[in-house]
Amino acid sequence: MRAALFLMLTCCAIAFAQQVKPIDPDWPVPEKAAQEQNPLSGKPELAAGGRKVFERTCAQCHGDTKHERKNNAPDLATPAVQQESDGSLFWRISNGNSRKGMPSFSNLPEPQRWQLVLYIRSLGTK
Amino acid sequence: MNRPLTAFLCFSMFLAIPAAAQYSPYFVTYDHHMEEPGNLEITTQSTVGIQKHDLPTYWAPLVELEYGATGWWSTSLYLEGASAPHDATVFTGYRLENRFKPLKRDHWINPVLYFEFENINEASRIQKEVVGHAEPSNETLSSLRGEKARELEGKLILSSNAKGWNFAENFIVEKNLTEDEGVEFGYSLGVYRPLATLASGTDCRLCRENFTAGVELYGGLGSTEQFGFSDTAHYIAPAIAWRASENSTIRFSPGFGLTTNGARTLLRFSYTYEISGFGSAVRNMFRGDK
Repeated sequence: MRAALFLMLTCCAIAFAQQVKPIDPDWPVPEKAAQEQNPLSGKPELAAGGRKVFERTCAQCHGDTKHERKNNAPDLATPAVQQESDGSLFWRISNGNSRKGMPSFSNLPEPQRWQLVLYIRSLGTK
Repeated sequence: MNRPLTAFLCFSMFLAIPAAAQYSPYFVTYDHHMEEPGNLEITTQSTVGIQKHDLPTYWAPLVELEYGATGWWSTSLYLEGASAPHDATVFTGYRLENRFKPLKRDHWINPVLYFEFENINEASRIQKEVVGHAEPSNETLSSLRGEKARELEGKLILSSNAKGWNFAENFIVEKNLTEDEGVEFGYSLGVYRPLATLASGTDCRLCRENFTAGVELYGGLGSTEQFGFSDTAHYIAPAIAWRASENSTIRFSPGFGLTTNGARTLLRFSYTYEISGFGSAVRNMFRGDK
């Protein structure tokens, strides 16, 4: 019984430790931006290009198969991130949060940022 | 060859082994994009100045080390030199540059504040910015290297992204602390866009998405002693950048002089290599982490 309780508590502690940090409350997405639809949502094949952009610009902090997560960046496969709308993800990629170390990627063309959103969505289904 | 120059050339050669990774093709204009936190970017750049009035062509190399201290602060060190045939090859000094992005998010117009301290000499030819007045000079690099110029420079950088285009405007003020020549002014304007806006799924090097192209317009605006366009130099410079690998970029820009003062042509070439996670690697080294 004690072993089961210990195991359960350990699992809870690991799950708690691995859970994504709550999204910065000072980083709210404007409602209008959150409601934007991904213009590429009907073209899932473009997620491959998003993967390439992700590996080049995001993986060094958010991690992938080749990189560990760094700089307290959240795991983008977690429900907290996947529950965000496409518009919210696009807005966060575009604006960044420079006070918390997330750069703005508005230098990427808009279609590439939407491709990133497509790819991030695919992480939630793996 | 003197010792600082030898050290500079050795350092340049060492750094040239890895070399470049910016998206922007600009050489003079700054946009609002900062170096990513913890990344170190190493750039080797050459400027070849083909002058008017039968003045000699010169070559001015520089090495830049740019580090993303935080998401809102990038800091850089420049080491520069100059060389001219039948004259001399000289180390022309160093510059310390800091850029601060005061706003947390992207807006229609994004300001960045720029401060630079320059400890150079009058032989400096890298033309990192063009300010004040420009008068043709036939003084040799070897005679100018002894004339120190400690300068403070500030820029207001305004930059916007729209529909895949970047538009940037820089307003420059510069004060020479070693000579009383007033406060000098200059400007730089730039626009660029990538040649393709969608990323292909394949790992290609020569596909259009890896190229950005644009044009810069820059020049001096006189000084507090004589403000305006008279006796100033202005250039228009098409520019192209090619992301040659995941972390290196090659840029090229021919700049054409628009006024009788200044050089006829400024040919610029650079190679940048970006080291991701440099800051954390250094921290781990001192902590002894594997």
